[in-house]
Amino acid sequence: MYSAEYRDAMDYFRAIAASGEKSERALELTETVIRMNPAHYTVWQYRMATLLELKKDLEEELQLMNAFAVENLKSYQVWHHRLLLLTHISPQDPSSEIDYIHQALLPDPKNYHTWAYLHWLYSHFSTLGRIPDEQWKHEQQWCEEMLRVDGRNNSAWGWRWFLRVARPGAATSQADGVKEELNYALKAIHLIPHNVSAWNYLRGLLKHFKLPLTPLLPAVIPYTTRPSATSVESSSTFDFPLPSDPLPNDTPLPVSLALEYLGDSLIEQNQTTEAGQVFEELSLKYDRMRAGYWEYRRRECVEE
Amino acid sequence: MTDHPPAQQQTFKRNAHINYFLRCLRALPTAAQSSDSNRITAAYFCLSALDLLDALFEKTTPEQRSGWIEWIWSLQSGKYATKGGFRGSTFMTTSNEDTSPSHLPSTYTALLSLAILRAPLDRLNVPGLVSFLRSCQASDGSFSPLPGDDVYPSEGFQSDARMVYIASVISSIIGDLSGIDVTRACTFIQRCQTWEGAYASRPGVVEAQGGTTYCAVAAVSLLNGSIVAEDATLRWLIGRQLGGFQGRPGKLEDILDHDVINREADRSFLLSAQSPLGGFGKEPEDYPDPFHSYLALAALSLSHSQSELKPLDARWNISVETKEWLVREFGRTKHIQ
Repeated sequence: MYSAEYRDAMDYFRAIAASGEKSERALELTETVIRMNPAHYTVWQYRMATLLELKKDLEEELQLMNAFAVENLKSYQVWHHRLLLLTHISPQDPSSEIDYIHQALLPDPKNYHTWAYLHWLYSHFSTLGRIPDEQWKHEQQWCEEMLRVDGRNNSAWGWRWFLRVARPGAATSQADGVKEELNYALKAIHLIPHNVSAWNYLRGLLKHFKLPLTPLLPAVIPYTTRPSATSVESSSTFDFPLPSDPLPNDTPLPVSLALEYLGDSLIEQNQTTEAGQVFEELSLKYDRMRAGYWEYRRRECVEE
Repeated sequence: MTDHPPAQQQTFKRNAHINYFLRCLRALPTAAQSSDSNRITAAYFCLSALDLLDALFEKTTPEQRSGWIEWIWSLQSGKYATKGGFRGSTFMTTSNEDTSPSHLPSTYTALLSLAILRAPLDRLNVPGLVSFLRSCQASDGSFSPLPGDDVYPSEGFQSDARMVYIASVISSIIGDLSGIDVTRACTFIQRCQTWEGAYASRPGVVEAQGGTTYCAVAAVSLLNGSIVAEDATLRWLIGRQLGGFQGRPGKLEDILDHDVINREADRSFLLSAQSPLGGFGKEPEDYPDPFHSYLALAALSLSHSQSELKPLDARWNISVETKEWLVREFGRTKHIQ
C-alpha cells in the first residue's frame, strides 16, 4: 500500500497539524511529505500558513519551487503555491519571473499549467501597472519566436490572442491593429496551409470583430482548387497576403479547412445551395472522418 | 511483467477489464502514493467501471461492499449544518477540522460511489453539504477544491470550470441549487470561452481543452437546463477527431474528450488502447491506469458502440441505472424528513 517512510511522515504531520503547531520542524515535515506526494493539498495549505506565520524569506521558497516545478509541471498545487508566493512577494518588476516561465516552456512548450500561470502573471502585474510597454513588446517578440519554431503550437496562438486581442490596450483596439492581425493569420496559413490553429485564429478574429468572411476569399480560394470566378470579384485592389502562385508542390489539395471557409462564406452570401455542395464534397470525399458532421452542415443548408 | 507487447486489440475484453478494476480496487499500488489525497476518486473510477460492466454485485461480496461504504462515510466531515462534504482519504483526517477540510472533487466522487454501492443516504448531511459548496465559491463565480481563507484564497489557479461542473453535479444530485450562486457561476463559464469557440479552464487562459469544454457545457446544462453548445463549440469539438480524439489542436489523440462523432473510428481507437491485462492506457501501448480506463469505458458506453456496457448518464458520469436509483433514494430520504 503506502511506503513505510510516507506513512511515518504522514503520521507525524497529522500530529503536528492537529495541534496547529507552526514551526521550523513543521516546515521541514511539509517539505518531506510534498516531495513524496506533490498533490497533497492539505500539506501545501499548511506549508503556506506556516511560511507566513514564521515570516520566512519567500524568495528562498521561490527558489525551492524552481526545483520542484521541473519535476512536477503538471501539479496544480505547485503552481498555486507559486502564484501565492508571487502575490505576497509582489515584486515591482516581475520580469525575472517571466523569464523563468519562458525557460520552463522551452522543454515543454504546450504545458497547460505553465501557460495558465504566464497568463496570470501578466494579468496580475498589469493590473498593478507593473508591465511597461517595453515588456509587452518583448513578450510579443517571444511569442512570435515560439510560433516561428512551431507554427502549430496552439498554446502560443492562444497567447498571441491575449497579447494582441484580449488584454486591455491590445493593438487590435485600433482598426490598423485588426488588419495587421488578419495579415498575420493569413501569412501563417500560407506558410502551413493545413494548420488548424492558424485557421481557427483567423476565424476567431473575424467572429470577434464581427467581420464577414467573404472579403478574404481571394486568399483562400486557391486552396479549394476551385476557379476563383465562382466566388467574388477578386480584384487587384485585394489588400491581404495571397498564397504563392503556383502553390508549393507538397501541399495536399484541396485543404478541407479552406473548403469549410468557402462553404461558410457562401452561406454568408445567401448561396446556400452552393454551400451545401461544398459540405457534401467534404462529407463524401475530402474529410471522411467527419462525414457525419459535414452531412449535418449540408442538411442545414438544404432545409433553410 | 516488464514486457508489454503492443496492444492491437479489436475485441472488447470484458473479463480482463473486470479483473483489472477489481485488482485496482483491492489495493491501490504504492505507485499510486501520489494519488493518496484523492483515494476516493480512484475508488470511484473502479466502482463506476464495474457498474458499467454490470459486474459489481456479482464479483464483490456484501462484506466488501459494506466495508467500502463505511470507509466512505468515515470521510464525511462534521455532523453539523455548518460542516459537510467529504475528504479525499482517511490519511487526510486529523482531529483538527481546520487541517482536514472537505474537498470538492472528493465530495463528488464519494457521493457517486455511495450511490453505485446502493448505500442508503440517510446519513448524508445535506445542509452541511450545501454550506460547504457555498464556502468553495469564489467571488468571480468559480469554485475551488477547498474552502478559501485569508492564507489560501480560493481564487486563482485551481478555481476553475472543472470545479463549477462538480458543484453543479452535486447540487443537481441533491436537488438543491441553493449552494451555488447560479448567475455568477454561469457568467464565469461564459468568460471561459476562447477565441476557438470552446472553453478553457479559466477566463483568458490561452486555449480550450476537451475536458474543460465538457465541464463548461455540462455545468451550464445542469444549472440552466439548457444545452449551450453553440455552432462554434460544436465545430471545435468535431475538429478534434482523428479517429480517437485529441484534447487540443496539434496534440496527439488520447482517450479523454468525447462527443458527437465517427463512432467506428473512435471505437477502433479505444479498443486499440486496451491492455491485454485489462484496463486502458492513455494511448495504445501505454500502461493502463484507472482514470483513463474508466473514461474509455464511459466513452464506449456513451457512443452505444459497446452493447456489453450499461448506458451512461453523460452529465452525472454514472450509469443511467445508478442515476435513477439516486433520484429515487433522494425522494425517499426527503419523504422521511
